[in-house]
Amino acid sequence: MTYNSTIQPRSGQKHRPAKRLIRSACVAMISAAAFVVPVVNAADLTLEGKKIGVAVVGTQHFWDREAFNGALDMVKELGGEPVPVDGGRDNQVHADNHDILLSNKVDAVISILGDGAVEPKFEALKNAGIPVFTVDHLSPHGVNNTTSDNYYMGTTIGRYMADAMGGKGKVAVFNAFEGALRICGIRTGLWKYVLQDYPDIEIIQPELAEEFANAPEDARKKTLDLLNQYPPGELDAIHVGCWDQPAIGIVQALEEAGRTDVLVTALDGGPDTLEIMAEENSPFVANVAQQPRLIGQTAAMNAARHFAGESLLPQTFVDVKPVNGPDGAKAVYEELGYGTL
Amino acid sequence: MESDVLLEMQGITKTFPGVKALDSASLRVSRGEIHGLVGENGAGKSTIIKVLAGVYQRDSGSVRINGKQPEPLTPASVHDAGVRFIHQELHLVPHFTVAESVFMGQELAGAFGLKRRLMRERAETFLKEALQANIPGNALIRDLGVAERKLVQIARALVDGKASLVVFDEPTAPLDSGESEQVFTAIRQLKSRGISMIYVSHYLAEITALCDSVTVFRNGSTVSVLEQVEANSTDTIIQAMVGRDIDALYPEKSHAVGGAFFSVGGLTDGQRLQPLDLTINRGEIMGVAGLIGSGREEFIDTLYGVRAAHAGSISLAGNVVNIRSPSEAVAAGIVLVPRDRRHDGLVLDMAVSDNINLATLEAVSVAGLEHRRKATERADDIAATLDIRPRNVNAVARYFSGGNQQKVVLARWLITQSRLFILDEPTVGVDIGAKVEIYQLVENLVAEGASVLVSSSDPGELLGLCDRIAVMYRGALVDVLEHDELSMDNLISMTTAGIPRAAEA
Amino acid sequence: MAVAPAAIFLLLLVYLGVTAPNLLELSTLSLILQQSIPTAIVCMGLASVVMAGGDDVVSGGIDLSIPATAVLAAAIIADQLVNHGSGLAVALMLGMGAALLMGVLNAVLVVTIGMTPLLATLASSVAAVGITKVVTSSRRINVDHPLIVFLRDAQFHGISVAVLLTAMLALIFYVALHRTRWGMHLQAVGGSRDAAEVSGISPKRLMAHSFLIAAVAGALASVFLLARGSGSTPGSEENLLLEMVLATFLGAAFSPRRVVTLWGAVLGAVLVSLLSVGFKSIGVDVFWTGCIKGALILLVVASAAYSNKQRR
Repeated sequence: MTYNSTIQPRSGQKHRPAKRLIRSACVAMISAAAFVVPVVNAADLTLEGKKIGVAVVGTQHFWDREAFNGALDMVKELGGEPVPVDGGRDNQVHADNHDILLSNKVDAVISILGDGAVEPKFEALKNAGIPVFTVDHLSPHGVNNTTSDNYYMGTTIGRYMADAMGGKGKVAVFNAFEGALRICGIRTGLWKYVLQDYPDIEIIQPELAEEFANAPEDARKKTLDLLNQYPPGELDAIHVGCWDQPAIGIVQALEEAGRTDVLVTALDGGPDTLEIMAEENSPFVANVAQQPRLIGQTAAMNAARHFAGESLLPQTFVDVKPVNGPDGAKAVYEELGYGTL
Repeated sequence: MESDVLLEMQGITKTFPGVKALDSASLRVSRGEIHGLVGENGAGKSTIIKVLAGVYQRDSGSVRINGKQPEPLTPASVHDAGVRFIHQELHLVPHFTVAESVFMGQELAGAFGLKRRLMRERAETFLKEALQANIPGNALIRDLGVAERKLVQIARALVDGKASLVVFDEPTAPLDSGESEQVFTAIRQLKSRGISMIYVSHYLAEITALCDSVTVFRNGSTVSVLEQVEANSTDTIIQAMVGRDIDALYPEKSHAVGGAFFSVGGLTDGQRLQPLDLTINRGEIMGVAGLIGSGREEFIDTLYGVRAAHAGSISLAGNVVNIRSPSEAVAAGIVLVPRDRRHDGLVLDMAVSDNINLATLEAVSVAGLEHRRKATERADDIAATLDIRPRNVNAVARYFSGGNQQKVVLARWLITQSRLFILDEPTVGVDIGAKVEIYQLVENLVAEGASVLVSSSDPGELLGLCDRIAVMYRGALVDVLEHDELSMDNLISMTTAGIPRAAEA
Repeated sequence: MAVAPAAIFLLLLVYLGVTAPNLLELSTLSLILQQSIPTAIVCMGLASVVMAGGDDVVSGGIDLSIPATAVLAAAIIADQLVNHGSGLAVALMLGMGAALLMGVLNAVLVVTIGMTPLLATLASSVAAVGITKVVTSSRRINVDHPLIVFLRDAQFHGISVAVLLTAMLALIFYVALHRTRWGMHLQAVGGSRDAAEVSGISPKRLMAHSFLIAAVAGALASVFLLARGSGSTPGSEENLLLEMVLATFLGAAFSPRRVVTLWGAVLGAVLVSLLSVGFKSIGVDVFWTGCIKGALILLVVASAAYSNKQRR
């Protein structure tokens, strides 16, 4: 798996002239990392008279909520009528919600996260002529997937973690979703790819699997079990492969057990985890922060672009912010507009 | 040739650990008759019925049904011999239809499942022809009256047409007189179809009206058999049932009775209990007599606020008191020693001293916290007065005997300095020695000026203890026996037939 | 009081019908039926247990473990198909066998040992969830076995095959529970244990049967769970449990005798699904939907308890 070969523009070839505009017409809304092919000026985009279904797997977590609200707000801003459905952190309910959007005859669906259960639903929507714009879920049945640069996230967190560990030691990984979600496959897969070059870093087997719902509490318990199994000196780091809600519980467990020598790394970088990272001597040392709100907004804008007749690339990548150490956490926290720490 | 005797039970003896429940008892039922079986509580009626049903195995004696001796006697073999039992409890499912209930456990089914229509038709036909009742087969049990439910229960036992002897155990206990008549009609109809019956009842009026002959039990033996029952056989039956002197269990009635202290007017629960008036004087022991279903329990529960009063007033020492819950009753100075002390009266797994102090914790509390030593001392004092054995107030109540448990409950209320004590079945499950002590205690209470209301199913106890006795019959207070009217005959005839003594004289 | 849940439900339906006009279209109705499937099947199991154990909420019959059993069976089937390369027959046998073992466990706990069904099945539910986690390592397993896909997508004259199969299953359950002597005995036991006993019916045997039937329902539901989710998703028992209890007791409010019946339970499942779809169609927040469902369960169960009290 390499960084560039995975991006294969599906329709890019037919619109060569448009490519020239990439550099000149970068839209203020979308950050520089976004590889959209704009033919319509952002100010002219509209969803007037369109009913846009917005499905999210849950709204308990900051990331999900921000992406959801970002999409909803942008749909409204563009004059569309959003039809929000929330899976309540249950992937099956989330998938079933797409059926409801289908029967509600929406004009397009923005679908945020979800596991394999949604694929047949996407297919049904596509067959009914309803375009699907996914967030963090690459699907053959979607028009476009807006996501963070997962490749960059995976390799960056791999490098930061290896550096923090001094290039050697044992690391345990929470990795429930590598096989089930493509984005997690990328993030964890590339993290492992980087570690191939650090022969002295050993990934503890079997890998741990966190629960989707109640992740922090679940991870806390599993970490306490892990710490019993690996006394001081036998465990150097714990990594969460695809997100960072479990890291909240992991840090709690480390503090409870007085094992703050064990390093923690994870991905997502919402305000809650950045705050933990910013604490003095926090074991939580590295992260890569995403911009979920911007991702949601971008997905909505992509829907508008699609309706304006523009051809979209299969994926739109939104910039991420690597976070290294407490000072890095404070800086990113401020940069992303969460306030000051 | 078929013999005239359908059932012949002879020399039946049944012993339970420590108790001889049946002592060479006999019961003989002729073909086609309704045979009454009477006796006081504990006389052995239900034991012999259970022996017949195959529930209890007899120690000795013989049982012949239809000339044959089914051995062993089991519920199944008795059923096969054509004997059916109509238990006191209805055993019906409220949301089942009449047809479903009649055929419960004996459903008619073919290759394509239940034959619902056939079952409905058969149930309706049987109810109409055999029991003279028009009850739709698809009516729900919960929409029926109690008498109709009783008929459905009877139909279930008899619908297979194989019954030759039916045993009725107190079939009219939960019914009022109109409803009872419906059941009598059905029973007479069954008799005309040649079915024999054993009729167990406390209601002597029913026995004389319905039965052809009667067997009287006392203390586990058959004491009398009346072959020809007539309307005026009641006296003979009562004499046979009682047959003993009221012994010297009871204390001398030496206390002085004062003026009116407690009175109820028009009290009713709006359901079973019909409005009643009653006055109890200061220092008086008032008895309440009545069979099961007479409304005696409802009356006591309503007085005590366990059952909601629908109408009526209660006044204590001239002041009207409002009692909607037991705690209000206690506050007003009325206390209850309940009939089921193991469940309603005692916290079985608490120490005796805690049980005694339960109602009066404030008296032994300092700033809301129980003062343990004070509490134990007080409990020990009263335990000594009442001679509660063993004299260890820290022991758990569960392991005390029935009599001593009863004394613990009494002790709790004695220390409240209450003025009216309601004792509901005070000596059920209590041995003779403890009985005497409890009776003496009651006597002491009234001697100190308190008033006592004793509700009991034991007529001897009421007669021996009380100054006056209020008699209840089918939900109504029919009369109050004054001191000079207290006699076993009066009491039994009134509780069993509801006849005010004036009419009898 | 017993009809209060039904009345409130009908009011909700009218409100939804007015505010979400597409709710009563054919395509939406078919969606509602499809989404009700796993719930409807576990409801059939619960209905059997409640009918045999009585509808007293505390001491009566209840089986909280059916959803967890279904999810466990689904996990085993998925794990066998995907991770062990087993054939469908073997996978189904193992999954459904595990479900039946749960039924045996419940029957032993309740009938032989004498635990209250509420506690016994709560415990076995927790156990089933635990085993599911062990089997799947809490991971989702995608299943694309042709038969599972067929069950998900196939249509027969425009009607989902899964819906047709569920309807057939309901019919079989109906005949067994309401049209056979065995079914009447089961109901008699639930109606009054003493009455059944004096009528020569063995309450213990029938209660044990009911838990086995419930496990069979759980086993069957597992296949439909797999089809609906295109795989096994640990954790889906929670929502299923909520809907099962709500639907089954709601069905009682709609039944003419106000007791839990097979059709009542199935109707309840469809109505609950309708409610979910309806609320989402008019954009009610998912948390509010949870609140409303919870309140409805409370209402339904409370009114059942209340009418029981009235009957005594």
